[in-house]
Amino acid sequence: MAGIFTVCRKELYDHFGSKRYLILFAFILLLSSVSAYQGAEYIKNNPQAGFLAIFSGTQFGFSFVQLMVFFGPIVGLVLGFDAINKERTSGTLSVLLSQPIFRDSVINGKFLAGAAALATLTVSTIGIMCGVVIPVLGFGPTLEQALSIVLLSLLTILYLAFWLSLGMLFSVLTKKVSTSTLASVAVWLFCAIMIPILAQLIANQIVPSPIALRGSEGFNPQQSQEFRALIQQRFVIQSSISKLSPTYLYSEVASSILGVTQRGGLFGLDLGGAQPFRALTVTQSVAASWPSVAAIAAGLVVCFAASYMMFIRSEIRPGG
Amino acid sequence: MSQPMIQTHELTKMYGDITAVDHLNLTVNEGEIFGFLGPNGAGKTTTILLLMGLSTPTSGTAMVGGYDVVKNSKEVRKIAGSLPEFAGYYEDLTARQYLDYIGQLNDLPRAEREKRITELLADVGLTKWENVKVEKFSRGMKQRLGIAQALIKNPKIVFLDEPTIGVDPEGVKEIRDLIFRLNRDQGLTVLLSSHLLHEVQLTCSRVGIIRQGKLLVTDTMENLTKGLTGKEGKSIEFKLSKVTPELVRELKGIEGVTSVTEENDRLYVYMTEDNTKGVSEMIAKHGAIILLMKPREYTLEEIFMKYYQEAR
Repeated sequence: MAGIFTVCRKELYDHFGSKRYLILFAFILLLSSVSAYQGAEYIKNNPQAGFLAIFSGTQFGFSFVQLMVFFGPIVGLVLGFDAINKERTSGTLSVLLSQPIFRDSVINGKFLAGAAALATLTVSTIGIMCGVVIPVLGFGPTLEQALSIVLLSLLTILYLAFWLSLGMLFSVLTKKVSTSTLASVAVWLFCAIMIPILAQLIANQIVPSPIALRGSEGFNPQQSQEFRALIQQRFVIQSSISKLSPTYLYSEVASSILGVTQRGGLFGLDLGGAQPFRALTVTQSVAASWPSVAAIAAGLVVCFAASYMMFIRSEIRPGG
Repeated sequence: MSQPMIQTHELTKMYGDITAVDHLNLTVNEGEIFGFLGPNGAGKTTTILLLMGLSTPTSGTAMVGGYDVVKNSKEVRKIAGSLPEFAGYYEDLTARQYLDYIGQLNDLPRAEREKRITELLADVGLTKWENVKVEKFSRGMKQRLGIAQALIKNPKIVFLDEPTIGVDPEGVKEIRDLIFRLNRDQGLTVLLSSHLLHEVQLTCSRVGIIRQGKLLVTDTMENLTKGLTGKEGKSIEFKLSKVTPELVRELKGIEGVTSVTEENDRLYVYMTEDNTKGVSEMIAKHGAIILLMKPREYTLEEIFMKYYQEAR
């Protein structure tokens, strides 16, 4: 066990001192603070919106949830994509494994350190957002809203940890760091951009959009029953395809926790401001989105287990 | 001395169809400096990886310090230090931080770790550089840091895979002296792999020659040389004031002389039986003066080539 914590401590120290982590941290923190201001403005303009709207409300640019949907994958992947193969190619792995530790200490320690770095990033970002907004609004979250914020943090950590484990899987699968970098970027773009576009395309093919609806995806109560049924059908198709992407699953659960409607747009949420619909309690909304949480968690477990198995069985060969 | 430090039995490692280590039977005793000699790709590195438990044998067994390298690889790594081939270093850490990390992985308590690091940095001559990041180090300094790393656990045996690659001559001598000192003072067993014959010749008490995964021969340096001269009879190296073609021709005609070769300014005379007197007289008859005359010494290279050819 000592080996895990030694590796973890060293890796954590590396993360906190690394430029890539600090740049990402600063970037996420900056955009989140801007989005928190926007959320505060949104709340001022929409008196029915609660405190939680700081995470979902937008005027221009990104809300926190959209930010995580789009940039979350890269944050997680960046902390993991070269975890193993960099040590393999630079020759540090053979020295590390020549010490009296079990081999799994290395991969477990690295994963724990990455997860801890991501948790630090998430918790401090959300904390700073609240800190920025409370003085502007003049009120804070209720107890139930505070609970939702905790849940949102946990969900975000889980989601980022999933991308971390996927990045680590790439680092075990590939020999070269350049290959795993490329694989990470490809997966990110595929999940964040390609799947939503494909989902719309396929939905369009199966249920052609009525001309009147083009350009306005919004729900129009003046349309006939038939139109509403078509829209509903399109939405179901689109969201079932989108569910292939963990980014969509995340936005779905996050919206549910925050109590806003969630649509299958490019960045998970409709631009122009999500509408509050909260009729469910926190526990109810968690129960409703449980399968999506389970899917993200399963993805994490599968990626980590695969990298774990492969790393344990891999051999150090002459010349790396 | 009763139990060998390393004992392998029919140790074999295959990578696909390629046999990297082929039924290796090797014994290294406690307190020895054993030289593992062979060209690149002969299986030296693979053998060390197998002995450290970083790679698993296809068949056969190996014991290091009484522990099985497959079943008890963690115990092996507690008593065996290793400087792997192409060892890498965390460039962002300073020498002291790096050694501290390795010390932590070996479960050394803080106070002991710091004491040990200070000693080792002095031993490998890096005290001045202890707070400098490894990225600023030269190849030779990194190699010395690697040796310090291998020694931090106070091992009973240390594996050094090509320890002097990229190190300047002065550094090579320092490393050699360090090996001798540790061996003498602490009875440290050393297994050193190298393709540099001279280095092995100077450092090691016993040598194993490996080629294509097979151990061709293990013996002391003296015995290896003796075996070679015994079979080939006697040979003498001359340095003469002048060498004429007639002299060479007539030397070949002397009874007992098998061949005469010229290399640079030296003349080598090979004989099945000792006829030094006849040879000297013939040289004097041709008006040449003997400037130097001594029994031919074999370099390890020649020994090496000979065992290769025999194995073929």
